[in-house]
Amino acid sequence: MSPVDPDLLSIEDLSVVIRRPGREVAALSGVSLRVGRGEVVGLVGESGGGKSMVARSIVGLLPGGSHATGAVRFEGDDVLRMDAGALRRHRGHGAAICFQNPRGALSPTRTVGRQLTDRLTTHRRLTEAEARQAAEEQFAAVGIRSPRRRLGAYPHELSGGMAQRVMISLATGCAPGLLIADEPTTGLDVTLTKEILRQFRHAADADGRGVLLISHDLASVAGVCDRVVVLYAGTVVESGPAARVLGRPAHPYTRALLRSVPDVDGRAVVATPGAMPLLTAAPRECPFAPRCAHATAECTADRPSSRPVPGAADDWTLACFHPRTDELAVSEPAETPERVTAAAETVLEVDDAHVVYRSRFGKGGHAALRGVSLRVAAGETLGVVGESGCGKSTLAKLLLGLVPPARGDVKVAGARMSDLRGRELRQLRTRVQMVFQDPIGSLSPRRTVADAIGEPLRALGLPAAQRAERVEAVVDRLELDRSMLTRHPHELSGGQAQRVCIARALAGEPDVLVFDEPTSALDVTVQAQILEVIAGVVRDPTRGSVFISHDLATVRGFADRVIVLYLGRIVEEGPVEEVFGNPRHPYTRALLASAPSLGAGFAGPKVTLTDDLDDTEADATGCPLAARCPFADDRCRAEEQELRSYGAARAACRRVPEIPDLLKGSDIRV
Amino acid sequence: MAETVVVGTARPGRFATVLIVTGSVILAVVALAAILAPLLTGWGPTEIDPLGTLVPPGPGHPLGTDANGMDVWSRLLHAGRLDLGIAVAGVAVAVVAGTALGLVAGYLGGWVDDVLMRVVDVFQAFPTFILALAVAALVGNGTGNLIAVIAAVNAPAYARLVRAEVRTVRESAFVAAAVTSGASTFGVVWRHVLPNSLTPVRVIAPLNAGWAMLTLAGLSFLGLGVTVPAAEWGAMISLGSPDVVAGRWWTSVPPGLVLLICVLGFSLLGEGLQERAEAKRR
Repeated sequence: MSPVDPDLLSIEDLSVVIRRPGREVAALSGVSLRVGRGEVVGLVGESGGGKSMVARSIVGLLPGGSHATGAVRFEGDDVLRMDAGALRRHRGHGAAICFQNPRGALSPTRTVGRQLTDRLTTHRRLTEAEARQAAEEQFAAVGIRSPRRRLGAYPHELSGGMAQRVMISLATGCAPGLLIADEPTTGLDVTLTKEILRQFRHAADADGRGVLLISHDLASVAGVCDRVVVLYAGTVVESGPAARVLGRPAHPYTRALLRSVPDVDGRAVVATPGAMPLLTAAPRECPFAPRCAHATAECTADRPSSRPVPGAADDWTLACFHPRTDELAVSEPAETPERVTAAAETVLEVDDAHVVYRSRFGKGGHAALRGVSLRVAAGETLGVVGESGCGKSTLAKLLLGLVPPARGDVKVAGARMSDLRGRELRQLRTRVQMVFQDPIGSLSPRRTVADAIGEPLRALGLPAAQRAERVEAVVDRLELDRSMLTRHPHELSGGQAQRVCIARALAGEPDVLVFDEPTSALDVTVQAQILEVIAGVVRDPTRGSVFISHDLATVRGFADRVIVLYLGRIVEEGPVEEVFGNPRHPYTRALLASAPSLGAGFAGPKVTLTDDLDDTEADATGCPLAARCPFADDRCRAEEQELRSYGAARAACRRVPEIPDLLKGSDIRV
Repeated sequence: MAETVVVGTARPGRFATVLIVTGSVILAVVALAAILAPLLTGWGPTEIDPLGTLVPPGPGHPLGTDANGMDVWSRLLHAGRLDLGIAVAGVAVAVVAGTALGLVAGYLGGWVDDVLMRVVDVFQAFPTFILALAVAALVGNGTGNLIAVIAAVNAPAYARLVRAEVRTVRESAFVAAAVTSGASTFGVVWRHVLPNSLTPVRVIAPLNAGWAMLTLAGLSFLGLGVTVPAAEWGAMISLGSPDVVAGRWWTSVPPGLVLLICVLGFSLLGEGLQERAEAKRR
């Protein structure tokens, strides 16, 4: 039965049903896929699709209560039917996993070097000295600078990117045939994402390993995968060469996924209604049919099996009765909402704000914002972008009055926040409302939806009857079902919860709405739905909005103006077309260049920064970017940079006029 | 091909329910017996049978009489009122007081937190029972005082428990959302922080009531509990213990057993609630 030269990994018709008292979940229903040596296969889809379950089945870690049929063949042996000893040898040696949250997956009380050498001494039977030597080489191989020093570091001393590199070295340490990466770049900055994904490509190319790259982020995996497998509700809906599946998808779900992602090239996002079903038994019909615009009676009568795409030469298969053969219309850029006239009233003003987090025992502190000024007019949307640690979240807290400025002012509708106390301050606070990153976490677990939405109205002193009326009005406006009002947060899906949070923010008719990464915790198609809701909300000419995100593409779709933050300072600001089309500051250009894109991406000459953010000295004098900037000279390192006007935009870089010359020719790399 | 591989088994979710129901039934039976005591016996708890002391179990006295000629069965039933009542009331006061302290300390932080927690430290520096002895000796006996003693020795633990929980909840996004919605400090604490900080209290309180009964019995055993001749299990054990050597088991063994059963009931209930809280978290 087993072939002479088996694939490295071949999953055959794998079904997993998890039986727990009171509930049953069909996690996987007839999944087949394979990964060859030296091949990078992307496993994509939204949460609930079964991506992690596939990963767990490969290392024999199915959760308790799982009933599995089919086979997971690794070099011909079925992982599902291995005994404990064989399974132990298989894990680590055969297949190894890189987890999503590297800092959580590393043991906090042992140095990272120790964790790696432990594996080497037990699995590869190296001596202590050999293991140390090998560990140092491993660290160097995944791009950790000064590896010898890092061997002695504890996980909490590492940045997210560094921790993920350590995780990769742990997984590859025992030379596994297959490397499984479960969302390895979630939570990492764009510049790092690229670098980490390159490590996986390298593992396949240089060492001939198979790599299974699990991700919800289609744009990032597009560049490194050979083949892509798309999962939906525990079934494989489409699989084939990455360029074909992501370039010219034939399955309606794949197409919906691709259209849901905002892109830096500014194309419009198309939302698909509905959400992935949670199946209790293997589906008898096409699981995507209820959300599919092309579904017919046939789709609900029978489940389409995986078949080769008609006319396609290579192994491109899909499970659909009505494959789409037309080009995925790359829609024209979203129509830009009409410009706000300069005469519009200013609703929010921040003047030279500094925020310092003091350490508990007085001395020292960390300056999170260093002199940020901005203003938002009614009807205007201001985008705020930057990498983690740039001060985005602190800025949000400052605007809401959750942290006081150490210096400078925040004025809402003309009133200075720091002048007010007690009741007046509370009233002013209702004028600025925020939509948080984690929708479910920002709703009180023991309060109903109606209670949550009514919260700002309560502060305004409205009686209960009037509150209920206003709550219903805003719920209707956001097209939420009224039956949801009596539910608790844990009964909501992420998308529903975020709608509730938007409803809460709108209930008190605030002057300013702050969106802090409102879609980054949501699934791709849900993201598109929420972006649509937000787009409708920010059009309102009576209020201003601030849209904070690490994702440049998302900001581009909304903002009228953009500010780019770096280490607590504004490095560039200007109208959105200016900043995205013709970035002045080298940092902005580098951010745009590394943003993943399914289309052409950023068109202009690209800049690559040299170091990770965490390796630079935040308190050094001179331009904060100097240590990473390819254009930095001695004056940059010595002088503080002020924002200077360049056309309609302003940038904190004295060399902007020279940059076009410096950029001439090819991409700048150092 | 149809062969199915089964991986482990999921833990039955009914386990928690079984624990909770068993514990509740045990406690309900004891409480009911205490409440309905006059219907279940002809003797009063302190009524002396002039015809005999230390009568062995038999007709008339189902569990015999003690050295004073009082009916053991009647005393056993009536004692439940005091024991259950004082333990539950004491723990209830401790929960309310401790939770309030913990809320204030945890939410306000700063010097308020420092001062309150140092006071709690002082209380917790003594072994519980020694502290109970000291307080009982100080305030003297009597039902109200005993409730105060039980509350005083247990409240610090709740203060600490709730404070720790509040410090986590305070940082959560939903509290930030409530603050930015313009809610007053009281509103935030009452509607958002408090309801979301009580899970550990719900688990600990029943267990604690069990320990409180033991503390109470211990105090009475040492003569610092209820005033003699009031019916109380610890006092009954104390009074009856010399009889055991002479083979007269009925004066001290029954109250001991009932005490054991009650503590077991509280423990099962607490364990069950804990199990359920954990199951919810998964």
